[in-house]
Amino acid sequence: MPLWFARGLRRGVVTTRYPARPDVSAASLPTPPAFRPGALTRDLAGRLIVTCPSQALRMRGEGQAGGGTLVFDAGACTACGRCAEVAPEAVTASGEFELAATTRGALVKEIPLAGETR
Amino acid sequence: MNPPDVTATQEAATKLREQIAAQFGRSLHIRTLDTGSCAVCEQEIRLLSAPHYDLHRLGFFFTPAPRHADLLLVTGPMVRAFEVAARKTYQAMPGPKVVVATGACALGGVYQQDPFVYGQVSDVLPVDVWIPGCPPSPLALLHGLSVAVGRLAAKVQDLTFIAEPGGGA
Repeated sequence: MPLWFARGLRRGVVTTRYPARPDVSAASLPTPPAFRPGALTRDLAGRLIVTCPSQALRMRGEGQAGGGTLVFDAGACTACGRCAEVAPEAVTASGEFELAATTRGALVKEIPLAGETR
Repeated sequence: MNPPDVTATQEAATKLREQIAAQFGRSLHIRTLDTGSCAVCEQEIRLLSAPHYDLHRLGFFFTPAPRHADLLLVTGPMVRAFEVAARKTYQAMPGPKVVVATGACALGGVYQQDPFVYGQVSDVLPVDVWIPGCPPSPLALLHGLSVAVGRLAAKVQDLTFIAEPGGGA
């Protein structure tokens, strides 16, 4: 029996079992941000929108006094992490990588802002 | 950004996925189409055939010709000069066929204001499944392909991207 074959049998299979079982490398993938609405003020949201290099963030209801929301397009997000660098208190990594969608609209999310009613 | 008749499109997509699952069973041939991507998406797609991911165990295969393909894996922001080639590729595929937009530029993220590109694949081709990421990791691609053939359900519509105050996603 060739040596490499015996070694392979002893060490087991290196191929991932995904999607039947979770993959160990999934935890280290860069993932889109998750927002903390309590810490997300309107000023901070504005800074995040300017920071985002791929136009994944925009404001809805900007002219109104209350009820503004931050619109996050997970499809446009490149998971670069710049928003989390600008505001670590309001933005963390979501840890989600299984983001395939069957409608484009399913990727667009509304994030409420701090101190504003929807 | 959304197509005007969302429910009809959704119904047609569901029907198509059922048809794909019934007709192709566990064998599906993929044609990749680069519409001006930076080639990192291609690098991740190529990793799918590496031993660790080994997409052939799931019955997915790459084919060099659109006439043999069931699924079109489109990357890049759809350069305007590429429109004719993209349409011809789509027309050359036998039905039923699925189009998967792959990566942030294909989904309309990075090159929204660039005059040389359409900015998103769905401006030219009827997209059935969207896979975000820059680039989407091979695991994300495997998930997207499984969603496209109906083996897994998409779950992003239930995510909020709102972190709890105590931490965690």
